[in-house]
Amino acid sequence: MGLRLKIEGSESISLPETSITSVVFGADIPHDSNARSTDLGSTVLIKGKILAAVDGEAADDTSKIAKWSLVPAENMDCYRRLQIDVVNASQIVRQISVPNAFVVDYQEDFTDETGAGVFSLLVKQKKDKMASLKFEGGFSGE
Amino acid sequence: MGFTVKVEGPSTIELGTTSITGVKFRTDIPHDSNARSTDMGSTVTITGKILTAVDGDPFDSTRQLGLWALVPAEKSDCYRKVSIEVIAASQVVRKYTYPNAFVVDYKEDYGDVEGVGTFTLIIKQKKDKMAQVAVEGGYSV
Repeated sequence: MGLRLKIEGSESISLPETSITSVVFGADIPHDSNARSTDLGSTVLIKGKILAAVDGEAADDTSKIAKWSLVPAENMDCYRRLQIDVVNASQIVRQISVPNAFVVDYQEDFTDETGAGVFSLLVKQKKDKMASLKFEGGFSGE
Repeated sequence: MGFTVKVEGPSTIELGTTSITGVKFRTDIPHDSNARSTDMGSTVTITGKILTAVDGDPFDSTRQLGLWALVPAEKSDCYRKVSIEVIAASQVVRKYTYPNAFVVDYKEDYGDVEGVGTFTLIIKQKKDKMAQVAVEGGYSV
């Protein structure tokens, strides 16, 4: 299963299937609601590897994600457009577009045992803009 | 043991035995009640696989479940009719019908190791319509 991440804002961040290891998409609705709640949100958790550049190729874009997580709320650049593609057998199983995503958590983990660091990025869609979130898929690609 | 899930609303979502991996039913009653409580609810958790279409097959309807989870409360189609059948040895062991079900949680999980994604859907029956929940079963398919 190939997972691709694209983030567009003041700069473009793109991470291919070689670095993304897991994506969890969730709809956040209060579990204790008695009827359908208007309090609807959406969270996406992305995990991947921080790869070291070899043979003179450019470094991967993970450092740009780290910088995005540090953009203050006063700056309009803290909201960016995020797109995730789940590709399998030449089919786009899911294409999730989060047009006003902001970071709620970012973590990087390095140890002396592994050759690559790992990162985990937790983003949410701006809650008043939930209607513009796109949840597509089921078409052929590649 | 096989499960089939059918969601009827503006469009019909059908998921069969190849994609559903588990169904959990529970009746929510306050544990601290001293006598039979009127505060009763019912929750269903459905887990399954997100399958990729090959050989030109149609795509499975898991994406429709994700879209249902994103329907705002102001729209009437956030409530849909859900029927779940538990089938074993050509017998319908249980048939649960929730005529006014709404989503309280939807999650999709993808990794680079597995070939398929997985989903978890949690639904509840609208609490004032609890009397309409039907539990049947014990007949052949």
